[in-house]
Amino acid sequence: MLLLISIRVFAPAEWTSWMTDPAKDFVTLSVSVIIESLPFVILGILLSAIVQIWLPAGFLLRRLPRNPVLRRSIISLLGVLLPVCECGNVPLTRGLIVSGLSVADSMAFLFAAPIINPITIITTYQAFGWNDGILISRILGGLLIANLVGFIYSAHPAPQTLLTRGFQAACAVDPHAEHGTRTRRTLISFGRESAAMMPALIVGAGIAGLIQVAVSRNLLITLGSNPLWSVLALMALAFIVAICSNVDAFFILSFGSTFLPGGIVAFLIFGPMIDIKMLALMRTTFTVRTLVQVSVLIAVCAAAIGLAVNLVF
Amino acid sequence: MFFSRLIARWKGLALTLLAAIATVWLGVTGQLGLYINPRYYVFTLIMAGIAFVLTIGALLVIPGPGEDDEHDHDHDSHGKPDGRGSDAPDESGAGRRRPLLAFGGSLTALVIVAAAAVALLVVPPSSLTSAAVEQRSLNGSSNTLANAGPPPGSSDDTSAYSVKDWAALIRQGASADDLSGRTATLTGFVTPDADDPDNVFYVARFVVTCCAVDAQPVGVPVYSPGWSSNYATDSWVTVTGQFEANPSVLSAATTVVRPDSLTAVDQPSEPYVY
Repeated sequence: MLLLISIRVFAPAEWTSWMTDPAKDFVTLSVSVIIESLPFVILGILLSAIVQIWLPAGFLLRRLPRNPVLRRSIISLLGVLLPVCECGNVPLTRGLIVSGLSVADSMAFLFAAPIINPITIITTYQAFGWNDGILISRILGGLLIANLVGFIYSAHPAPQTLLTRGFQAACAVDPHAEHGTRTRRTLISFGRESAAMMPALIVGAGIAGLIQVAVSRNLLITLGSNPLWSVLALMALAFIVAICSNVDAFFILSFGSTFLPGGIVAFLIFGPMIDIKMLALMRTTFTVRTLVQVSVLIAVCAAAIGLAVNLVF
Repeated sequence: MFFSRLIARWKGLALTLLAAIATVWLGVTGQLGLYINPRYYVFTLIMAGIAFVLTIGALLVIPGPGEDDEHDHDHDSHGKPDGRGSDAPDESGAGRRRPLLAFGGSLTALVIVAAAAVALLVVPPSSLTSAAVEQRSLNGSSNTLANAGPPPGSSDDTSAYSVKDWAALIRQGASADDLSGRTATLTGFVTPDADDPDNVFYVARFVVTCCAVDAQPVGVPVYSPGWSSNYATDSWVTVTGQFEANPSVLSAATTVVRPDSLTAVDQPSEPYVY
């Protein structure tokens, strides 16, 4: 590592001049995704370890109501307590599944939490206030979709098959039965979770950087003022920008009146649930088949809500 | 097998360590602003510090690859999170791995670690270039500055106006008449006008909401025929001049700065605006 650092310190500043501008931008953008997401991923891994190791076994599960619809509603609201954006929610959701939460219930948490986390709500309010029902549509739409996904997958005959085999194996071990002090187990869990999340983050950041360099945003932005196309174009923008849900409202606000409110709502609902970085992170846990199904389902729902907002307001 | 287990156990910690060191290094050298908005500095640096401590702690307690750890259920062996492996079994589980697949997974992991090391530690940090300006429609988003300044024509002091402020005024429809008599002093990087690159360039900055990924370029057009023989695209300049109607017939810009002085400067330590 010292060797690598010394290369940057001692090499002449121009040694990267052979890189074309797009290549430089690709590296800059990918690094920026990594630097921006790292704190949230670490926070998510820590919270996941707390749920698995420091809380008494079944602490959370015991307190949840038995009625499945009511239970998922409460789980989908848990995110209000957690200021973690979408990248931190993946390790946390993994922790919840390992602790015994069902796959369907965990999905209700995973997809609702980034939208209803307190920072997201505050920044969305700061950006839009009560204008055009954007804030309300975002919160209610997010909860609705998350509960719908949970409801649909609760009917799955073999929910374990939604998970990757590697993660299934991890779930088969009861974390409370492991030996060693809690600190030691926390550190081992950190090593394990980082081994799952970090390569996914790096690959996700690389793909996000590559798409940013390859796809021009101009077309998407031009489409933003058409009632139908604004919804689809802004969902595509959300997918490729992969911006953190805590600040996405400011980002889309910066385009100002260019976009119709329905497109903005679709952006704000779809982006935190599905984007290029999230797919890479969720791939650590769910099979490709599951991810494709969930992505299509959420995209259709988000588009429907966006179109409805465009018609109503 | 030894090699595969070594990689499987250490890749996450290696990557965390790389990212944490890169973050702290950028923070210490004041270059974090090349990647993220300053309001995240403290949070990012604290979490990088925590990540560093946890990684060192984990390195100390994680059993070596030669030791048999019954709890090593290795659920991380799919080094292909991009889905290239489609639904291929993640070759781990409780049983023994197939050596070839394990080797492929390790190789992928090695490539990821090496790429991350090069991107995070070897390549010198840099700001976005004009290539990104072309992708992101210059001034497409400057409504963010709707309340950036007084209405054009008022007598308020505009001497401290930045590229962002002037770009907002012009986008709101301020004409050369509205801005006549005002002197602008602007610092930004040079990016050519799309329609009349010979005579007009923009003094531009990126506005960053969260991180460089969401950067949107804003810029003020400058009319200076033959500018490209003296100033390279992406080089930094300070322009002082007055506004006037754009003499260029090709360029879409209506109001331009006619420079009284145009000097090359070094890139500022915070190249983006927020």
